[in-house]
Amino acid sequence: LFFTAHSTGNLHSPPGKPALTSCRSPEKETFTCWWKPGSDGGMPTSHALYYRKESSETVYECPDYHTAGENSCFFNKKDTSIWVNYNITVVATNALGRAFSDPVEIDVVYIVKPNPPEKVTVTVMEDKGWPFLRVSWEPPHKADTRSGWITLIYELRVKLEEDNDWEMHLAGQQKMFNIFSLRSGGKYLVEVRCKPDHGFWSEWSSTSYIKVPDYFHREKSAWIL
Amino acid sequence: CANAQAGCHVLSLANLFDRVIQHSARTHGISNDLHYEFEQYFLPSKNHIARVSRNCHTSSILTPNGKENAQRMAREELTEVILKLLVAWRDPLWHFHQSMAHHHDFNNFSSNKALEMSDMVHELRKGVEKVAEKMQVLGIISNTVSSLASPEASLPSDSAEWRLMKDYDLLYCFRRDSNKVQNYLKILKCRIVPEHGC
Repeated sequence: LFFTAHSTGNLHSPPGKPALTSCRSPEKETFTCWWKPGSDGGMPTSHALYYRKESSETVYECPDYHTAGENSCFFNKKDTSIWVNYNITVVATNALGRAFSDPVEIDVVYIVKPNPPEKVTVTVMEDKGWPFLRVSWEPPHKADTRSGWITLIYELRVKLEEDNDWEMHLAGQQKMFNIFSLRSGGKYLVEVRCKPDHGFWSEWSSTSYIKVPDYFHREKSAWIL
Repeated sequence: CANAQAGCHVLSLANLFDRVIQHSARTHGISNDLHYEFEQYFLPSKNHIARVSRNCHTSSILTPNGKENAQRMAREELTEVILKLLVAWRDPLWHFHQSMAHHHDFNNFSSNKALEMSDMVHELRKGVEKVAEKMQVLGIISNTVSSLASPEASLPSDSAEWRLMKDYDLLYCFRRDSNKVQNYLKILKCRIVPEHGC
């Protein structure tokens, strides 16, 4: 009986070690870090993020815990410098103690993952009686590509509705791409993603669907006539 | 461009910009590769990297560390910053290559890359000087880019500090500076010839 009581007491403990899971910037001008809390030790536990910038001794607390949702810290333009390392740590605190995450060191230049390209449009065009798809898109509106601050390259993937595999096409810095050799009457799915020079691929854009006209039928019937 | 019309000048300036930007991208790419190899080789534990002291010898060159700062800078100043960075890396990269060549742990591949990087910075600097001269001729920037007249004079006073730096730290710093150069060149290009692929 004594032991049971004792182990009940043990349900309360200092917090478990939190882990910084990732830091990402969508446009090289702001960034966000996310963490995963450890156990709460059965007690109310709070988390705080602290950072220190390269060649400075001053430790700052996260400027904004709200904008990017739960367990995150958002750094706005004012708080974001690039080519400067940030040393970041998350601290979990409850009434019984504290736990520190492993520190993470980042330079915003190397953690850029843009939002997907926008306004993806697919139209059926024709060249000497043969249809082709013209895919065009715009860069994610947050990424200021016009100023030269960020350069994006694009990749497309295309597949017939009934197929399993996507066909990939690298478009480089172009914001338009033509796809030839289409199946007559086929329904195609098209998605686009983008990547900065030294960063990560965005997620794929939402799918665009397009149906290619039955051009073989048309041609055959023309012969019969 | 026989009749030297205005439009024709602009086109060739855009062209020059594209060349130096491509060159700077390649230079940064090599530094990235080498940096990665160093990391794999010398620093198996990532935690160690955080402890490396990183006082780059170019830290006394004031460089904009955000988009708005870079955009606010006068064209002359931004050009000057780019040239200063490139001048400051000439000697250190040459020594870095020498050090790699004598390092038995490195293969020829890495050593050749180090040599290529050193050569490319030299060419990149000449390229940027051409762009700057062209901009001066076209009246786009004033004749106040002092690095053009006497490149050595633009070196920071503590410019020999790099001699005390370890190879890894040098590479780390160059990787950062070459990325800055690439970015500033793109900003400059898009301010001056925005209609060419910006």
